[in-house]
Amino acid sequence: MPLAATAPPILSLRELSKRFGQTLAVDRLSLDVPRGSLFGLLGPNGAGKTTTLSMATGLLRPDAGTAVVDGADVWADPPVAKARMGVLPDGVRLFDRLTGAELLRYHGLLRGMPEADVTGRAGELLAALGLAEAASTLVIDYSAGMRKKIGLACALIHAPRLLLLDEPFEAVDPVSGETIREILRGFVASGGTVVLSSHVMELVESLCDRVAIIAQGRMLAAGTLDEVRQGQPLQRRFLDLVGTQALDAGSLSWLRSS
Amino acid sequence: MAALLLGLQLRQYGRTLTRSPWATVTLVLAVLGALGALGLVATTMLLLRVTLPQTGPDAVVVLGSALVVGWAVASVLISADDALAPERFAMLPVPARRLLPGVLLGGAVGVGGIATLLALLLTLIGWSITWPALLAAALLLPLQLLTCLLAGRALAAALARQLAKRSGRDLVVVIGSVLGISAGIVVVVVAEGVRALGSTESLLGAVAGALAWTPFGAAWGVPRAIAAGALLPAAAQLLIAIATAALLWLVWAHDFRSRLTAPIVSGGGGRVRSAAWIDRLLPATPVGAIAARGLRYRLRDPRHLVNVIGVVLLPLLILGLNVVMGSTVELELGEGVADLGALGDVGPLLLPLLGAIVLMSVAQLDTAYDSSALSAHVLSGVSGTADRAGRALGMLVLFGPLLTVTAVVTTAISGRWELLPASLGATLGTAALVIGVGSAISPWMPGQTPAPEASPFGTGSSGGAQALLGALLMLLAILTAGAPAIGTAIAAAWFPWLGWVSLAVGLGLGALAIWLGVRLGGRALDRRWPEVLAAVSREH
Repeated sequence: MPLAATAPPILSLRELSKRFGQTLAVDRLSLDVPRGSLFGLLGPNGAGKTTTLSMATGLLRPDAGTAVVDGADVWADPPVAKARMGVLPDGVRLFDRLTGAELLRYHGLLRGMPEADVTGRAGELLAALGLAEAASTLVIDYSAGMRKKIGLACALIHAPRLLLLDEPFEAVDPVSGETIREILRGFVASGGTVVLSSHVMELVESLCDRVAIIAQGRMLAAGTLDEVRQGQPLQRRFLDLVGTQALDAGSLSWLRSS
Repeated sequence: MAALLLGLQLRQYGRTLTRSPWATVTLVLAVLGALGALGLVATTMLLLRVTLPQTGPDAVVVLGSALVVGWAVASVLISADDALAPERFAMLPVPARRLLPGVLLGGAVGVGGIATLLALLLTLIGWSITWPALLAAALLLPLQLLTCLLAGRALAAALARQLAKRSGRDLVVVIGSVLGISAGIVVVVVAEGVRALGSTESLLGAVAGALAWTPFGAAWGVPRAIAAGALLPAAAQLLIAIATAALLWLVWAHDFRSRLTAPIVSGGGGRVRSAAWIDRLLPATPVGAIAARGLRYRLRDPRHLVNVIGVVLLPLLILGLNVVMGSTVELELGEGVADLGALGDVGPLLLPLLGAIVLMSVAQLDTAYDSSALSAHVLSGVSGTADRAGRALGMLVLFGPLLTVTAVVTTAISGRWELLPASLGATLGTAALVIGVGSAISPWMPGQTPAPEASPFGTGSSGGAQALLGALLMLLAILTAGAPAIGTAIAAAWFPWLGWVSLAVGLGLGALAIWLGVRLGGRALDRRWPEVLAAVSREH
């Protein structure tokens, strides 16, 4: 990959750390995401994926370390860095007493977009994600999958160069999932960059060209898909790196008796 | 099974108390309120027993009926937070009949249930005029308590399908807040009405006599009839009382059983009108968008709607009270009223100011109401100043006209139109001052609010210690910075031209306060976005 090797990375995390009380959630984590890649962030529950993404997007102040987006430091120059990112956070609420259309308009206007652009793009996004029918329903009445989709639309509306998506496929039905994959592939083909977190190996393997595996707040492996896989299935490699939890021979024996 | 369910209910109480100190404060306040009410019941009972022993039974019948209605209303208001809702047992292989007693008793374990039991025991004082009445009342006490508990369960059950819709839940919240704000005033108005009608005793007797034949009061009517020696009516009322409890049980049990197999899923309200006029009214900029969103939330989110209702309703209720009480106060004070002179007119003139003071928590807690949805503002990189300005604009666009209308209405009723500018100056000046100070301090003290979708009367509705401190700061600001506007408004009662000074000073001060608040608050927010987000995302 000559382009990736020469051009500066679009997202660069250096020695990011975050401690919550006694727990070290993220431990001196460094990561470079090359321009034009579709980057998968893998890790078991509680690995620090969401914490890392929160520190990279300005939601959570790191204890130490830096996050740089396209040359702009997220914590030193937030307006510039944030303008270049589109973010789908996980586990936060939406302004859910707005309708889907109103929420999209809100995000567009917050980003300082002209009203005409907001209206046009909002309509296209709602139609593409299959939310046109639900455009005038309050987001609070959306299903979990619909909320993911409207969240994704909000992250896309200002046409950012870098997308950071936390669990974008969770609770999304297969049809919408394919639509989202198509949107992401097209976005990357036109020069955009996507970072997404997931713990579904098959999905990452089929969609991403680069992956990083983190556990207990540390980076275990990062690189192109083939570099990380080392000739094994991603699932196998992931389990080898993260470690499996073996069941005792006798545990849960009552469950097998019947 | 009943013991298990009671234990579950107690453990849930315990957990809430250990998790949040505010739950303890709420509990203490509830206990104090209950003790106050019990003290009132005890005093009334003893007084009647000593001075008017025949009136005691009448009072108890009315009290009992009120308890039944109270249980029914309260259980609907808090039905959203029912820890023992049938849906929670739907996955368990336990038949309804084994759950019902425990669930009913579980509802009685709490401040309300214990206070009701104590109140019922206190009413025995009223029955002690004859032995047969006392005996009958003591025997009927379990039935009376059961009627209260079942009335709550049955009404909540009958309305469950309506309450599962968002529109139904929101309506309950609105009705509840109106009831809550006006409760004290309604009592006074009713008491005044009774006094105006003439002899309290004969009226009480007539009301009790009628209630004793209704499902509300029948369980208390029996000992009353026995005390009067009317055995046939007593038997008939006993029948009514038993039939009432049985019917309530059937309604509740039927609903419980059907919800175990067909759980009610909380549903939405479907499509809403987009209220496009809001978008046309406000500019298509970050500031305009935040203001428009604030406006939509104030009309759609029951937590905000309660505050909007409070701002308008409180001054109007006090005014209504003033009108009702006015005549009697004059009678009692006699010549004194004339001496108060113009000062008497200042009251209604300054009433809309109460609405502006209700704004204090609205202004300070506005960010906290957003909860973690505030992340949208953080991620978009919108400036702190735009955030503050948008919120302030949204409040001005809604509360400005509302407070103006309130001021016009109160002035119209007082009849002194020359004081309208003074009323407007004091009210709008204070409101703007409060919005300005609230904007400035909320990045430092965002306060606590009930979580989105939680009951506005539940945890966090007190706003927490930060809200208390914020309210103190804002009161201080009103008394110092707001003094020129309020002072000239009061002085306008003697020199009406000062009203125009008050209006000018109020608007000028208010504009300055909002400008400063937006600047200072915006700068603080730019430095503290993640900390503010973490503080408001915490849910209790």
